[in-house]
Amino acid sequence: MIALPSIAFEGFSGSAKGVTARRVGGRNILSVKSRPTGATTNAQVVRRASMSKISKSWKQLTNEQMREWDRLAEHTSGQSAFGQKAELTGMNLYIRLNVNRAMAGEALLSTAPESTVAVPNVEYTQIAVTPELVAITGIKHQASPYKLVVKMSAGQSAGISNGWSKTVIITPGIEDDWGEADVTTLYLKTIGVEPVPGQKVFVESYWMDTSTGFAGQPVQDSVIVTGEAPHGQRVKVTMNNLDPTEENNVSAIDVDFSTGAPVAQFNAVCLGHSNVASSIVHLDRELPAEVIGTGICLGRSNGPDGKIVAQSYMVWVRNYYGKADMTFAHRGGYYVANTECFGAGVMY
Amino acid sequence: MFNSTGNNFGAGQISFKDYQAENYVVLNSKFSFDPTNADYQACEQLEIYVPDLSIDRSAVGAVFIRFVEDQHWSWGDSVYDGGSILKSWVKDKNTIVIEKQPWFDQNGPLIIYILTLYPQLNQGVNTIKGTQQRLTVTTEGDYLRFGYETFVVVFEHWAFIHMLISGCTYAYRESLWEATLEELPADITADVPICGGGNQFHPECDGMAEAHIENRVFSNQRRVMGFWDTGHDPFVYAFLVRDNNA
Repeated sequence: MIALPSIAFEGFSGSAKGVTARRVGGRNILSVKSRPTGATTNAQVVRRASMSKISKSWKQLTNEQMREWDRLAEHTSGQSAFGQKAELTGMNLYIRLNVNRAMAGEALLSTAPESTVAVPNVEYTQIAVTPELVAITGIKHQASPYKLVVKMSAGQSAGISNGWSKTVIITPGIEDDWGEADVTTLYLKTIGVEPVPGQKVFVESYWMDTSTGFAGQPVQDSVIVTGEAPHGQRVKVTMNNLDPTEENNVSAIDVDFSTGAPVAQFNAVCLGHSNVASSIVHLDRELPAEVIGTGICLGRSNGPDGKIVAQSYMVWVRNYYGKADMTFAHRGGYYVANTECFGAGVMY
Repeated sequence: MFNSTGNNFGAGQISFKDYQAENYVVLNSKFSFDPTNADYQACEQLEIYVPDLSIDRSAVGAVFIRFVEDQHWSWGDSVYDGGSILKSWVKDKNTIVIEKQPWFDQNGPLIIYILTLYPQLNQGVNTIKGTQQRLTVTTEGDYLRFGYETFVVVFEHWAFIHMLISGCTYAYRESLWEATLEELPADITADVPICGGGNQFHPECDGMAEAHIENRVFSNQRRVMGFWDTGHDPFVYAFLVRDNNA
């Protein structure tokens, strides 16, 4: 896209042979029709569909609601490639904010937010991209209603210095997990291929205020894909770490040893097994020696019988022939096989 | 110690004993509220507003909720106290949240016991292990017995206790119990729930009694009717703040 250099072109508009001339905000602009370079992603399809639906819903607003959006738009500037802020109409703003909200799973906002609110910039310490891990770490947490939007590119040649136009939305709005955003699964689902060591991945991230749809300034970064994950990874056990070749007696698990305190954080929905008052999970790897031991936690039954009995569970964590397992063994209270264990527990 | 600055469920001022580290807090409190009051009925979750905590959010912990219920029969009175546990977390520096469940709304007033350690995650360091000590529990005449996994883990400013009550000499079943917890620091005073025991009127939640711990003495008088029912093993689980915190 180029701005016309001369007043001689004043008044041109329309398209011819793939070139479009138009006048925007007092400026004449010529643009060449750009064509997408890659296949359309699922996220793009969803976004375009929601944009179309939201555009149509504008007409269903009351006149007062439209005026409120126009009023807000007067105080809101759009993006421009020329350092001059583009003007936004109320409808533009309505669509933009509601598309953002739809992306984060929020309902349509008919009434304009009362005012524009500054959205904080994303701050983090590291982006790690390996064939097995795609994660942003050390994120400065922002509480709800902020959600993190991450856009990433497929692996590019390491020589490319500007590839942010190739980024697509990986996370439509997630909360960081204690300063960490592990987007490995989302990256593979969206991009379709694992990152290759040596290639460069472009990343853009911003916070979105899901209550209003306003987004913060995108932070652009790039990272060279490495072969191995950085050291000092957080030690936790989730369903992703379970050995699928073994019988695991939980329907959900998230045990976190990264407390830096004299407790582990236990979360597991135990199902019980073989008429024994315990549930066992087998991991696909060993755990670090410092977290091997015995813990304890509380549980509350949550089965279909409606029981809500409080119980205590010992938790044995051990390494065994190159893998680890974890046993939730019932101790106090009336045993119910379907029990949700939660909360902090000492380890020794 | 500190007091709450408010709450959204009509509980009045709530007092806390606390130990606050850089990356976790241990809080002890006991308070009651009336589930028929309008504030409670209007709230989506129970929020307690407090002066600045050392942490600005936490992972989910557990607190105890208990109701008191007596039934009067021709042959005497019976106790059917019960309760369960609720999820709780630090939402921000000034707000402690407790999940709202309707289970016992008909059994008010309800008592909440916060005997909880609220940790943070992804702290760059793994869990620090403590030293488990078997808890020696002594009574005059040795009338109370406890399970193998009755133990304490003692730290400078707080202690964790887990007790499994396994038996009692028949003659003492209705008596006031006073047992000495030999390895527990003497600077702990708290009311703690005893979870478990069968509850004929509330089998969905079982029984819940209350014990008092002071100067190493564990005492309890009021117990649910089915306290000794087989397979309903009464237990205590509590993070207890020591009275040595300035």
